[in-house]
Amino acid sequence: MKKSIFLMLIVCLSIAAIGVELVFWTAPNPLQERFWKETVAEWNASNPDIQIKWSTIPAAGSSEEAILTAIASGRIPDISTNIFSGFAAQLIEADILVPLDSFPDFWELVDTRKMRSIVEKWKFGKNYYVFPIYSNPIMMWWRMDILRELGYDKPPRTYSEIYEISSKYSIPNERFGSLVVMGRNWYDRWFDFITYYYAASGGEPYLDVEKARALFNNEAGKEVVGFIDKMFRSNWTAVDLGSNPFYTGVVLGGIFGPWEINQARSLFPDVFDDIVITPPPVPDTYPTDEPIYTFADTKGLVMFATTKHKEAAWKFIKWVYSDIEKDRRWMETTNLPPAREDLLTNPIFKEYMDGNPYFAAYASHVAYAVPPALTTKTVEVQDIMTTFLIETIMYGKSDPLSALSDSSSRVRKELF
Amino acid sequence: MKKRLKTVEAIKGWSLSGMYLVYTAIFWGYPFVWLIILALSKWNFLTPRKFIWFDNFIKLFQDELFWRVFINTFNFMLYFIPIVIGFSLLFALGLKRVRLFRTFFILAFLVANVSSGVSYSIIFQKLFAVNGPLNDLTRALFGVTIPWFSSPQLATLSIAIMVTWKFIGYYGLIFFSGLQAIPQSLYEAAELDGAGKWTKFFKITVPLLNPSIVMVLVLSLTLTFGIFTEPFLITGGGPMRTTYTFQMLIYSTAFQKINPGYASSLAIVVALLSYGCVLLTRKLVEREVELA
Repeated sequence: MKKSIFLMLIVCLSIAAIGVELVFWTAPNPLQERFWKETVAEWNASNPDIQIKWSTIPAAGSSEEAILTAIASGRIPDISTNIFSGFAAQLIEADILVPLDSFPDFWELVDTRKMRSIVEKWKFGKNYYVFPIYSNPIMMWWRMDILRELGYDKPPRTYSEIYEISSKYSIPNERFGSLVVMGRNWYDRWFDFITYYYAASGGEPYLDVEKARALFNNEAGKEVVGFIDKMFRSNWTAVDLGSNPFYTGVVLGGIFGPWEINQARSLFPDVFDDIVITPPPVPDTYPTDEPIYTFADTKGLVMFATTKHKEAAWKFIKWVYSDIEKDRRWMETTNLPPAREDLLTNPIFKEYMDGNPYFAAYASHVAYAVPPALTTKTVEVQDIMTTFLIETIMYGKSDPLSALSDSSSRVRKELF
Repeated sequence: MKKRLKTVEAIKGWSLSGMYLVYTAIFWGYPFVWLIILALSKWNFLTPRKFIWFDNFIKLFQDELFWRVFINTFNFMLYFIPIVIGFSLLFALGLKRVRLFRTFFILAFLVANVSSGVSYSIIFQKLFAVNGPLNDLTRALFGVTIPWFSSPQLATLSIAIMVTWKFIGYYGLIFFSGLQAIPQSLYEAAELDGAGKWTKFFKITVPLLNPSIVMVLVLSLTLTFGIFTEPFLITGGGPMRTTYTFQMLIYSTAFQKINPGYASSLAIVVALLSYGCVLLTRKLVEREVELA
């Protein structure tokens, strides 16, 4: 009897000693795993009262699928990373996220991390539910070696400049000026139409989620569809180009994210030094002194409303993101630009930027990289864009302006 | 004594089948009940589930995308089934003539069947690319570029070719075993009666191969309703949604559009459609065959 009471006491004491345990999920990506493994170990060693039980998001078709299954089966983590805007909107609408601005020192942390204008773009209704971790501006890559052979000493900036080099370089069905459309899946629209639209419009939104309106049937939208149409009608671009058309010289230019840098360096060392990275193309009338906006492939961290330890979870988040050293380590480990506006100006990042000029090209546009619309209908909207806008133009099924107007009214109906 | 023996037999029987019954109850019965409940509900994984009875089914028959995929599926069948049956039969007939290295040929064709859908989709994507080796060849020979994945009908055909490649070995073996079961004496008797090659094929081989033909037909029909990897990876359902399949629709509805209730009703309708097609095929094609 005495023995069992003693054992019970030990168990109770150890629970009391451990205190809070937070379940924390991160992206199933080896580089990010390396960062979080070290970071969580560091936290756990110095915070015995708040222990983090860290794991990657369980294996499933996608992170969203795994998180949804966890929610349905009641195994919700306290905090999770790898949340994209559309999924965040669905979680927010279901009222299962904690508004992070409900913590009194939220804006203090935002200012410490120099990310106010980035965070502003994550507003949903009146609150902020997602803490953006990294922001990948989507940029254009050009083969400078071939451009030089064609007689150019700088990459094209505007649509007309792309037309000019495309007409010189293209041979029908063999080689093309540029990759313009990235594929036929709904998510490919982030990397073509939406990217070009942000560039042409100066970062203006393409949807008004609150008023259920599609905004892309405007001057900027018309410029973009005109560009896509001209490239396809002139046979200066194509889809289904097999693998790596950029490195094999099948295309002169293409849209890529910063994750491509490592692959280019290791798989195509001969081409690597001849790559030049620029913002996405803009209409000819776009002012030369204005920054060019682009799409941000960005993921953030959320806190689930089911957590019993909001304060503890917030303390952990604050501890990670108020320390600039951790952002530097994140950048060096994962090669993903932290969602900060001072990547080029803060001396702490200088050494890494100097040694990685391609990464610096991406970092220079973090401040001008706009996340996608925070809508629960991301898949539906981009499915419509794929079928009734991009494919219609690709296959010349209708004139680009009619396709723009038709897809815009279909999106409006979907949002309504 | 007799009663005791019966009890012992019953215990033995239950202990042998018990594990299977438990397994079926957990991994088949439980999900099946859930599927029905979900099909009658509105749910988004996140908020409480609400019964809406047959609303999902009513919505389904008014859904433009459902009918698009319905047409795609039958369009795919029109290409896939004749091609796969034709080539599998050719493979089986060829195999019957091969005396040396027969196992090697069988294994070589079966490799396709066990290869990963993701890997061979990537290989075919490169093969059929605008600037891929196949188009290089057609350009060199005839000066034409074939838009394998860009033309709606050709994209369906391209996927049918890929799936055929995967299943020739498997279906071919089914035909081969059917061919082996046809007694040689029938052919010899037909030859004595002056039957030619084609007469023997159409009057003996095809009728007596009926069980194998029905089996391959049923397998390929059910396969058509289950296509996912190839169009998901290569065409994304395009061009103009012509390669969008039921499985892609179910997956994107459940996990991307977060509407598992509607996806469940789709799954039920697709299962019934597939079952209906199988019944119809058997009714139309199946014949009683006695080889003995």
